[in-house]
Amino acid sequence: MYIKDLSSISPQITFTDEFLNGDFKIHTNTFYSAIEPSYSETIPSSLLRRMGKAVRMGIGAAMPLIERNEKLDGIVIGTANGGLENCINFLNQIIDYDEGMLTPTHFVQSTPNALAGQIALMSKNTGYNVTHVNGALAFENALLDAMMFLELNERNSSLIIGAVEEISNYNYNIDQLANRYKEECVSNDKLIETKTNGSVCGEGSTMFVVTNDSNNALAKIVDLKQINFPTKSELEIKLNQFFIDNELTLENIDLLVLGNNGDIQFDFLYDDVKSFFPADTEYVYYKNFVGDYRTSSAFALFLTTHLLNGQLLNHAGIEGNLTKIPKTILIYNQFEGIQHSLILVKSVEE
Amino acid sequence: MNREEVKNEFKAHLITYLNLLDITPDQIKDDEPLFGGDLGLDSIDSVELIVLLDREYGIKIKNPTEGRQILIDVNTIVDYIVLNRTK
Repeated sequence: MYIKDLSSISPQITFTDEFLNGDFKIHTNTFYSAIEPSYSETIPSSLLRRMGKAVRMGIGAAMPLIERNEKLDGIVIGTANGGLENCINFLNQIIDYDEGMLTPTHFVQSTPNALAGQIALMSKNTGYNVTHVNGALAFENALLDAMMFLELNERNSSLIIGAVEEISNYNYNIDQLANRYKEECVSNDKLIETKTNGSVCGEGSTMFVVTNDSNNALAKIVDLKQINFPTKSELEIKLNQFFIDNELTLENIDLLVLGNNGDIQFDFLYDDVKSFFPADTEYVYYKNFVGDYRTSSAFALFLTTHLLNGQLLNHAGIEGNLTKIPKTILIYNQFEGIQHSLILVKSVEE
Repeated sequence: MNREEVKNEFKAHLITYLNLLDITPDQIKDDEPLFGGDLGLDSIDSVELIVLLDREYGIKIKNPTEGRQILIDVNTIVDYIVLNRTK
């Protein structure tokens, strides 16, 4: 499966070339809010007024791709929580108004598939339309679905796939009680090295046009693997099998894109995976750009695609060990040691 | 609360409930049709309006025919609120 086009709204200015030109936005909080574009040219005001942040960001990221890519056979979205703020508003109203009359807008916007439905309505796309909601593997599920769709369909088929997550005050407070977020404010340029309990909450939407045709492609998504609750040895076995399946060795990986988030409780898992590779294998982090959220691996794929195309090498925000343009990249992300994913991406020249 | 105060309060609720971006109460004309006019309200908004009247003024509109005669413009709604509000 090939990536043909991509777009992102994130805590960095990714909806223009500013991010690619080296701009690095510093956030100093326990949540990193997305920097949103003006939607007035892409979303009619009559629609925009009903949209929650998740739907708004998703549409804002998807519409430029739809405008640039006429033929799209479907829409596949991954989101752990969807329009969470609207969802919790709706649930609270049930209590506040004693199960009386409820407004429809919060409900309509709260369902995870509201985004995929809205993209379809706005682009008049009547094709395949699916939303995956498997927590921190929601985006990976969407990728897998797209890969299977493109394998089964004729050449030149293409899909828009992507992910969205929003910060909701309600849920932030609940997650904070579960020690998911740091008590102290952390600047994102120091996030990875903090090594205290919890991470920081991020949000954003990243969209891709994927196709089974390599013409004009930006990158090739070779394979992905999802693993739940692995021990270190199980993870190593799965990783080795993943490489055998793809006729690769660990030495073939030019760059690891790692989901370290500064949480001392789980960041050792990334060290474990790094230890399976030769000591000189290069690596970069990505959550210092966007914070942590369940579908942040979509942003990792955004970053990876640009790295494979020789961009961002000297970006002010790049942390890790990156000296040359990579040709083969492995993205590894995990959520609280429960859901782990590996995404193998290659440059099209390979 | 006199009629003018009710009208201003209702317009503020209208903006909040329908999330009318970039519109101030002054810009909503009293006799402008809410549906099919510049505000561009639709059927989902009519349900939001019914919920607004229930929550803010204790008015329950259950008869669709009656609703069509009330939800015409700001004047018709405010007149109905003044006569029928229970809170």
